[in-house]
Amino acid sequence: MNKGSCRAGEALIRFSKVDLSFSDRKILEAIDLEIMRGEIVCLVGPSGCGKTTALRIATGLLAPTGGGVAFDGAPILGPRRDVAIVFQDYGKALLPWRTAAGNVSLALEAVGTPRAERAARIDALLAKVGLPHHADKYPSQMSGGMQQRLQIARCLAQEPAALMMDEPFGALDAMTRQELQDEMLQIVRTTGATVLFVTHDLEEAIYVGDRVIGLLPHPGRIGIELKIDLPRPRDQIATREDPEFLRLRRELYEFIKSAER
Amino acid sequence: MKALLWRLASLAVTAGFVAIWQIVADFKLVSPVFLPGPDRAWAALVHGMVASNLATKLAGTIEHMLEGWLVASIAGVVLGALIGSSRFMRAYVGPTLEFLRPLPASAVIPLAIAIFGFSPAMALGVIAFGAIWPMLLSTVHGFAAVEPRLYEVARALHLSRWQVIAKIALPSALPDILAGLRLGLTVALILAVVCEMIAGLDGLGQWVLLAARYFRSPDLFAGVILLGALGFVGALALDIAERRLLVWRAPTNSP
Ligand SMILES: Nc1ncnc2c1ncn2[C@@H]1O[C@H](COP(=O)(O)OP(=O)(O)O)[C@@H](O)[C@H]1O
Ligand SMILES: [Mg+2]
Repeated sequence: MNKGSCRAGEALIRFSKVDLSFSDRKILEAIDLEIMRGEIVCLVGPSGCGKTTALRIATGLLAPTGGGVAFDGAPILGPRRDVAIVFQDYGKALLPWRTAAGNVSLALEAVGTPRAERAARIDALLAKVGLPHHADKYPSQMSGGMQQRLQIARCLAQEPAALMMDEPFGALDAMTRQELQDEMLQIVRTTGATVLFVTHDLEEAIYVGDRVIGLLPHPGRIGIELKIDLPRPRDQIATREDPEFLRLRRELYEFIKSAER
Repeated sequence: MKALLWRLASLAVTAGFVAIWQIVADFKLVSPVFLPGPDRAWAALVHGMVASNLATKLAGTIEHMLEGWLVASIAGVVLGALIGSSRFMRAYVGPTLEFLRPLPASAVIPLAIAIFGFSPAMALGVIAFGAIWPMLLSTVHGFAAVEPRLYEVARALHLSRWQVIAKIALPSALPDILAGLRLGLTVALILAVVCEMIAGLDGLGQWVLLAARYFRSPDLFAGVILLGALGFVGALALDIAERRLLVWRAPTNSP
């Protein structure tokens, strides 16, 4: 499913000395980061430290004021079709006047999928995110968890090589959040997509990530990098009880506490 | 069930109003020269339809109203979309609009007469000028108020400019546009009547004016009743269209 050349062990996304200022305020400073193919990298940090900004730069929605980001070796100049963005505010990112099927269809219409092929693709995508019987519902008739599943389905319709997720489960209740974490990991495993995952939930970062990057605020810069060597597939109970998980959690908490000071 | 009760209640209010009107007329609380009872007004209405040219007048008013409204709607929505979807246009054209908007449409009637004479074209111009404002302003608002996140979704999906308008901006602005269409229709009806009175065009405005001039109050009331009904039917039609187009707004909530 991955597009482009499939050289494992090579960076798919590379931040090189990325700086970003809004007017005179420095938001991000000298971010150097490589994300390997198929890797899940989580970005954590205190609120306002620039996580969303860094992700937006990686998607091409925002241009850095210094340095650059390369995707598969080519500089990112704007959003790419093979990079899907899961926005935090699913309620605003869906078309309220379209049904679930219609919302997924938007991504297919964008690439000119023939009408005759759309229905089957939409059914398959909705089934994949656990919404097989909700094709005719409008977003206003769906719970938050269902709306976020729907947004993910639309993203998967892009057949993305990379998923950029900005606190995708932050607004959901704990149970739904855990369900979606597992479903997301399952989907990523079958598609082999590379993931940049922003969250403020440290346990979530360790649970889903292969690597966790902690940002320091004012200006945002990388302060810690943790390799997560927990066995996959992850398990909501066993993984979270793993001594290694607890050790990583303590390390990350201490980092965040010092960063917030 | 609740909707049915409301409808019954509103029917009862209308019936009560007609009854009071009848009583006032029967006891001659107001001189019958000015106020005929509903019975006489109704008789005049039926007579006008069958034996006189009231039906032609009604058709004339409908035609003036719809023509002006249609021109205003198309122009208003197209211009509104152009202005509303561009910050540049909003900044530069906005002030001009704010200057023109408060001009009462009746103030441009002399100008329209000077240009077009006492002709249907003059009525069309005046009605369209008056009815375009609600359409234009609500469309501008609708296009300016599109959720910015949706434009980012459009960029992420590489939607073409045309796709963004057709699939995102237009449906998002639709509730505002429909509200403008509804207001515009009311304005178009009012101006159609005014133009018919001033320019003597075939229509209910002229009918009502002549009836008043010759103290035929039942005829006058027949015309007024038709005008009321016309406005009512127009609003109802737009209501139905709105309910169909905006199903997504009224969630039949099941989680
Ligand atoms: N468009 C913008 N203009 C000016 N400042 C902004 C803009 N977007 C974000 N910021 C500022 O940049 C900083 C980082 O924001 P953000 O990346 O959203 O943080 P996070 O996602 O880590 O909470 C914040 O201080 C925020 O106020
Ligand atoms: Mg954020």
